[in-house]
Amino acid sequence: MSENVAPHTHFQYEDARHQADSAIAGMWLFLATEVLFFGGLILAWIFCRHWNPEGFAAGAKESVLWIGTVNLALLITSSFVYGLGQAAIEAGRVRMLIWCCLLTAGIGVVFLGLKLLEWHVDLDENLWPAGPFKLHGAEADGGRLFWIFYFVATGLHAVHMLVGIVAVCWIALRARRAEFTADWHTPVTVVGLYWSFVDMVWIVLYPLIYVVGRLS
Amino acid sequence: MRHLLWMWLALVALGACAFGGAFLPLPAGLRPLLMLPSLVMVAILALGFMEVRRGGALPGAFALAAIFWLFVLLGLGSADPLTRRVYPADQGGASVPGPPEISPQR
Repeated sequence: MSENVAPHTHFQYEDARHQADSAIAGMWLFLATEVLFFGGLILAWIFCRHWNPEGFAAGAKESVLWIGTVNLALLITSSFVYGLGQAAIEAGRVRMLIWCCLLTAGIGVVFLGLKLLEWHVDLDENLWPAGPFKLHGAEADGGRLFWIFYFVATGLHAVHMLVGIVAVCWIALRARRAEFTADWHTPVTVVGLYWSFVDMVWIVLYPLIYVVGRLS
Repeated sequence: MRHLLWMWLALVALGACAFGGAFLPLPAGLRPLLMLPSLVMVAILALGFMEVRRGGALPGAFALAAIFWLFVLLGLGSADPLTRRVYPADQGGASVPGPPEISPQR
């Protein structure tokens, strides 16, 4: 192993490329476990909807479609903005990376703000499954199952969003300290993978929550 | 950067399709098809923004493994509810003559 490694290369790697490949592969491995984590939620949705289609659809009709749709547009745009930042640092433009990170984190905060507003509306409408529930009769049980799925899924996604916002701010901070260059910016790539995955999870949750059951 | 813009426009268009799907009067059995625009969006994100093909062999293998195990999870997990027959419970210890099938609530 060479003693003359790049400034950011740890001793156990042959060179900076080896270290970058390992970090990116490590994030992909983590994301593979996350796919199975959220896969359990999707399986719960399939199972509950199969046995309670009418109640599940009645529950879905109570969801706030406009907030879910605005949040979908926000997250798609945030991945685009972060992608611009990645392209900027590949061209050595650190300042643009910082602005893109701040904008991405800002969009993430707006997403969470809208999510809090949506939860507030849901609770006002008596859609918390453990309390006095809005739906009655034959649809009540399936409706409760839908709203359990809704709060668990959106809650877990919101936690992932919070982690993503902190990670993107951390990238902005490191970029401000001039730690990234066109030749070395592996953390920017790794955090970008995580952010796009969180976006991906919302893209899958959106039809499960807001679309499939609406006109059933 | 132009390819990023095209991907963003494609995602917005597909997002609009997903939104429009909420108002399509499809029967309950076909409504899971409304997931299709979202699945295309996921593919665009994985291939475009996450550049899974550019990452090399190992990230590609992890991504394929994730898809494979997700299919195993969803396939084996839903095989039971989608194929199970439900019979009425035996009330009062008397034997039930022919087991009439009860389909899930529709």
